[in-house]
Amino acid sequence: MESEVNGILVAAHELKAPLNLLRQLAFSLDFAEDEKDVKLIQNKMINVSDRALRQVQDLTKIARLEDGLFEMEPVAVRAVCDEVTEELRTLFRFNHRNLEIEYRNKTRLVSANRELLYSIVYNFCLNAMHYSDEETRSELTLSDKDGKVRLDVRDFGPALPMDVWRSLKKGWVEKPTSIAMRPGSSGLGLYIASKFSQYMNANVGAVRHRDGTSFFVELMPSKQLSLF
Amino acid sequence: MIYIIDDDREFAECIAKMILHATKGVEIRIFSNAIEAINAMDEGLPELVFLDVLLDGPDGFTFLNEMLSYEDTEKIPIVIMSSLNFRGKNLTNYGVVETLNKAEMTPEDIKRIVKKYASKN
Repeated sequence: MESEVNGILVAAHELKAPLNLLRQLAFSLDFAEDEKDVKLIQNKMINVSDRALRQVQDLTKIARLEDGLFEMEPVAVRAVCDEVTEELRTLFRFNHRNLEIEYRNKTRLVSANRELLYSIVYNFCLNAMHYSDEETRSELTLSDKDGKVRLDVRDFGPALPMDVWRSLKKGWVEKPTSIAMRPGSSGLGLYIASKFSQYMNANVGAVRHRDGTSFFVELMPSKQLSLF
Repeated sequence: MIYIIDDDREFAECIAKMILHATKGVEIRIFSNAIEAINAMDEGLPELVFLDVLLDGPDGFTFLNEMLSYEDTEKIPIVIMSSLNFRGKNLTNYGVVETLNKAEMTPEDIKRIVKKYASKN
């Protein structure tokens, strides 16, 4: 019970950030210089709300996982990555960061639930953007490894704390946990990614680098013949 | 010159906009971490710093200690902006003149603080 309450507390802390930002954006509408500026602030408000809503939706999906409502199907993994990166590209640019993609995988279809896979990739990329240093890049890579399709998202920021890395090495994150070296984060995105991966029988993990971290998920290839 | 140190760039830009509204023409520098801000001190000292506590890398308190350790920076007023609750905590020994809760702060708070501590503008 105590750990559940702690989990809720750290998740709540992470969800506070977009609400605080929305509040300040609403105030800043009063200081807009012209119509263009108003539009810009409104767009920011929409983007921040979208990101926060996505996180809340992901949390509700976790509760629905037990009901088995998410069907496994052949999913074109490159298309999912394309969609996520398209959605996040503006956000990266606004934050003076860059997202690079490299597809080395020959296997195009994985066995997954599209919605859950989308959330995993989205959470990994958002995490990478947040923890990369300014004017650096994050890298999304797809490759084939040991009969699976591996999706890596690498950031160039502070190293991942040992305890979180150990937890990921076991294959899952049991609850949202404060990440000391990555403040502002409850590790909520990692927790969500971990839960969704478990559901899809995929492995989730992290590689520590001296200048950052790679988070990865290893997906089972779909047995269905690819038409690509 | 006023420094804003916050790893949430969008949030920092909102605060910058409010400062500019309060005192036109003031130079504002935004930093996403404490190290960048400390290094920038060599190029010119700020008259006021808005500081978030939970930062990537060294946290806000590391920054406060660093500021206190130099003769030319120890007197620079620092305003903490945080989601953490500092209500009732006395941080004046760290050079902190005010603490603002991110969930409650308003443009009027920013205006009042800038007028009070960056009055040269």
